[in-house]
Amino acid sequence: MLHAENIAWSPGRTRRPPGSVIAALTARKAVRSGVIWGYIFGVSIASSAISYTRFYRTTAQRDALAAAYGTDRATGALFGPAPQLQTVAGFTVFKISMTLMLIGAVWGLLTSTRLLRGEEDNGRWELLLAGQTTRRGAAIQALGGLGAGVVTLWILTGLITVVAGLDSHVGIAAGPALYFALAMVATAVMFLAVGALTSQLAASRRQAATYAAWFLGVSYAVRLVADAGLGLHGLIWASPLGWVEELRPLTAPQPLTLVPIAALTAVLLAVAVHLAGVRDVGVGIVTDQASSRPHLRLLGGPAGLAVRLGRPAVTSWWVAIAVSGLLFGLIARSAGGTISGTSAQQVLSKLGSRGNGTDAVLGVCFLILAVLVAFAGAGQITAARAEESDGRLDHLLTRPVSRSRWLGGRLLMTVVVLLASGVLAGCFAWAGAASQHAGVSLPALAEAGVNLVPPAITIAGVGTLALGVWPRSTSIVLYALLAWSLLVVIIGGIGATSHWVLDTSVFHQMASSPAVPPHWEADGVMVAIGVVSALIGGIAFKRRDLQGA
Amino acid sequence: MAATAIRTEGLTKRYGDVTALDHLDLEVAPGEVVGYLGPNGAGKTTTIRLLLGLISPTEGRGEIFGLDCQRQPVEAHRRLAFVAGEANLWPSLTGAETLQLLGRVQGRVDEAYRDELVARFDLDPAKKVRAYSKGNRQKVILIAALMTRADLLVLDEPTSGLDPLMEQAFRGSVREARDRGQTVFLSSHIMSEVEALCDRVGILRQGKLVELGTLAEMRHLSALTVEATFDGPVPDLTGVPGVSSVQAEGRVVRCQVRGSVAPLLKVLAAADVTELLSREPSLEELFLAQYGDNGQGQDEQGRPGQGEAHAAR
Repeated sequence: MLHAENIAWSPGRTRRPPGSVIAALTARKAVRSGVIWGYIFGVSIASSAISYTRFYRTTAQRDALAAAYGTDRATGALFGPAPQLQTVAGFTVFKISMTLMLIGAVWGLLTSTRLLRGEEDNGRWELLLAGQTTRRGAAIQALGGLGAGVVTLWILTGLITVVAGLDSHVGIAAGPALYFALAMVATAVMFLAVGALTSQLAASRRQAATYAAWFLGVSYAVRLVADAGLGLHGLIWASPLGWVEELRPLTAPQPLTLVPIAALTAVLLAVAVHLAGVRDVGVGIVTDQASSRPHLRLLGGPAGLAVRLGRPAVTSWWVAIAVSGLLFGLIARSAGGTISGTSAQQVLSKLGSRGNGTDAVLGVCFLILAVLVAFAGAGQITAARAEESDGRLDHLLTRPVSRSRWLGGRLLMTVVVLLASGVLAGCFAWAGAASQHAGVSLPALAEAGVNLVPPAITIAGVGTLALGVWPRSTSIVLYALLAWSLLVVIIGGIGATSHWVLDTSVFHQMASSPAVPPHWEADGVMVAIGVVSALIGGIAFKRRDLQGA
Repeated sequence: MAATAIRTEGLTKRYGDVTALDHLDLEVAPGEVVGYLGPNGAGKTTTIRLLLGLISPTEGRGEIFGLDCQRQPVEAHRRLAFVAGEANLWPSLTGAETLQLLGRVQGRVDEAYRDELVARFDLDPAKKVRAYSKGNRQKVILIAALMTRADLLVLDEPTSGLDPLMEQAFRGSVREARDRGQTVFLSSHIMSEVEALCDRVGILRQGKLVELGTLAEMRHLSALTVEATFDGPVPDLTGVPGVSSVQAEGRVVRCQVRGSVAPLLKVLAAADVTELLSREPSLEELFLAQYGDNGQGQDEQGRPGQGEAHAAR
């Protein structure tokens, strides 16, 4: 046994002023995450820049690319404007910036809600508050720690971008490279502040993350409309994501746009710190009803309970998918009109999207919907793991409920959520497109919606495998597979990439319906992989010990 | 003949090099109330999680009413109700909704008794779990277990967070269960609780069951504490057969006696004894005696314990 006197206690830590303990504790976790994501950001940027120099070597190739995307409304709406596609810098911004902006925003809101509200939910915050600090002081310290994580994210992203820029073919100077990295991290900063505020407003971490995610969804939707070429570009200033876009790194830098970004961040953080000082620990500003009349529906067993507990999150996903589908449908006709019969259509075909302009645009739009559907499915598996890690599953499994019955109910619910998500995506995209007389049929878009389900089933199945075999890594496996699949399909979609790499992306295996008919065989393989993975995971879950967090 | 409520044979759980439970052989008869004692990390919760099938044994096996804990967990769980020491419940459900859920999942609820328990434990069932204190959350899972009238109650630190009034309510409920013929397996740190409720007590030490028996049996095997007050010179009791741990403070001498008290009485009779107190060891003293080698088990001050005392003047 290890005795206390045998532990090499660090004298430095005991000498640390009490006022910085929380900052150091939070920084340790935030910096670790910042290192991982800074590396991913940097490598993504570097690979985009270098792949461009390899695959678009001639002026003619670059002009063709610029002609295809430079004025394309659909890709502009989805990925942002595409100026200077004849240059490495312009292409890099176009290819990777929107993806990194979104990943940065999600990182920011999840990290801050986890390290602020999550610590409070777990009861650890109270222990820290019992030290030599105040509620407000503790919040400031924690935000300082989160700041260290953001700085790490920026430094690593910037360093890798600077190194990539040294390549003579890439030729991006250090200053612009660091500014680009700053722009990519700007959404992380803002949404970290958003998460800090929602952590004060909400009664739980999950609720805080949901509020912040809604803010992100609305920001993305507003920016999408602003960039859709509908004459509403002024709306770009109504979206924090639009501000980051307006920083225009590497092409036409506008550093003054950092002012609203910094102002919003400062205001959100100031309000968050103020609220942290005035509210009681363990409750949110948005009051949660402490008592209510009992609602006994769906409390007959574990499956009903899963439906009841998952209802708010699932509803949020369905609304997000339906609204996104509607928006995509609304812009599909006008966006498709600009590329029909042009070289842009050929380039979209690299993303697997064929057919007439509208269908081709919808084919690309449905890739975004596929990501949302996959997230909805992944959320079901992480919720199942949370039941186990938080100890609530013990109360069910010590009653006459088998592990198979519990997990089976959870997986059945996941499949229902995914199917309904796919159908919703298709139907709402059709509703948007039909309102613009885009000439696409409901059956075709419903089929395209169902086509979104197999990749999500694969991801959920692999997540179930992780739940059974490496339960503590369930979330990491799920979201790493999802992020990897998205990254590969985006990077590989425009620039040529090894098919070995492309084949590892579930989104690459999915046909770009409605532009092309679904590949039912490939879909069948994906479903089979998901089912087999889930079966193996289920068997492993049945045999292993239950494990806490 | 009714099957044994709990039976384990060589039940062992190892985590790498650490042996959490070491070849546990245990039998609990139907209708018995058995206390299960041990310090933190002794293996109490590991035993319970093995019996419930939440974790798998490295060796050995366990049975609940003749049903294998690992291979027939669902059938075994139909016969038992479990109370965990940590009441991690669903924060968005109210107390009433939680009781409804757990009752439906268990498959049987004595509704009249449930309502009686809600009143007895003074629980507000309309409150959401997230608004409950730790003690109130504990009440919810206690009521959820008791209301099923299960044949076996497996209780793991069931009263953590309960105030003394609720502790009394809990003891009353366990006595009722015993009177109805239910079996109770009670893991607890509260010695007075175990002493008051249990027919037999098992003591775990570093994963091994070092004592198991009725309190009377355990006391019989343990030393008697004797305290004598003298009016005159204090005799030297060291060297008296069966006497140990002699401590003298002025005219008061305390010592432990194992076996026959006759040699000690002979010495005392020759002295001028004005007061003689003898008492059996309390459960706490029996428990601490098991852990005495690291100093925790010694009553350094030689104070009288809480156990039964006999006085003679």
